[in-house]
Amino acid sequence: MGTFHHDKHELHGITVVVETPEKVFVGRCDDMDAAEVILLDADEHAEGQGGRSKEEYLKRAAKFGVWKKHARVSVPREEVAWVRRLSEFTQGIPADLKGGMATATAVAEPPAQVAAAPAPKPAAPGAQDVVVLTEAAKEEVRRLIRDDKKVGLGLRLAVSGGGCSGLVYKLDFDKKKDGDVAIACEGFEVYLDKKSTIYLRGVTLDHQKGLSGKGFIFKNPNATNTCGCGESFSV
Amino acid sequence: MPYPEELVAPMRAELTSLGVEELRTAAAVDTFMKQNHGTAMVIVNSVCGCAAGGARPGVRLALQSPNRPDRIATVFAGQDQEATAKARSYFSDIPPSSPCVALFKDGELVHFVPRHLIEGRSPQMIAQELKSAFEEHCVKA
Repeated sequence: MGTFHHDKHELHGITVVVETPEKVFVGRCDDMDAAEVILLDADEHAEGQGGRSKEEYLKRAAKFGVWKKHARVSVPREEVAWVRRLSEFTQGIPADLKGGMATATAVAEPPAQVAAAPAPKPAAPGAQDVVVLTEAAKEEVRRLIRDDKKVGLGLRLAVSGGGCSGLVYKLDFDKKKDGDVAIACEGFEVYLDKKSTIYLRGVTLDHQKGLSGKGFIFKNPNATNTCGCGESFSV
Repeated sequence: MPYPEELVAPMRAELTSLGVEELRTAAAVDTFMKQNHGTAMVIVNSVCGCAAGGARPGVRLALQSPNRPDRIATVFAGQDQEATAKARSYFSDIPPSSPCVALFKDGELVHFVPRHLIEGRSPQMIAQELKSAFEEHCVKA
């Protein structure tokens, strides 16, 4: 699900965390360019403020959101260490940021705009190893087939244009169609159309349970850019 | 500044057509919330296409679950401001955001989905989150 404002940055409308050496900002991204990151309805937190570390602050923020301190705040781009979606922090600090939270000295580029997608390498339709499902994903699919009375249908995985990062995954129950790649998967079949096979080669479909879990998750080694929710990607 | 009603009406209808009760006044919210037995879900609707555009269809999919809340209501943030403020007073420890979804059991808030866990997610993912909450809190013995 992307936004509907094509003149804005891809994170427009998304609640993000902006890390700077002095403090961390949380707010709804209005826009981002080479000069600044503009947040709306934003809060800020310095290390130790109110007796809470940045990590503790972000854990709570990721669960419930933040109280608005600024209607609009502009963070100079040169101060920005990174920009991430707040929803990425529901399970705690993302692993790739751990260590960077305390010092925040390394100034890295914020996530780049989606680059023009290079043409993906064509895959050979019919390959049986295009997509791998983890045990958790298989178990959830079997549960959905059983509970939602989808017996006789397979799991269709597909890719279409859209989303925050250019391409979006689709997941549905469907019948096998002509030209589909079918993958037998312990109690059900996975169907992919020819075009989607190109993009989904090497993808692992996982599933996270629990109220804070993300549900089905696509892990795509070919994606050069993904959105924070993991729903869309570019290659 | 509320949006013109003709723009908002389809967004209201997207929920009310599902049987969701729309609460337009603070008094209506209080009446709904004071029936504090069983499970109740309150959806704070919004015009925001980036988030509410996925939330409403997500709610529709979730309500296909056999384990749905006993009572479901909605207020419209930015439009019905008095009703929205009153609804938020029932989860006043949580920063306001819209859209969002609150699930109550016997008058107690048991699950909350803030805006930042809605935006950027597909209706299917939002529905899955809600269905998980329904399965935890709304299953009849």
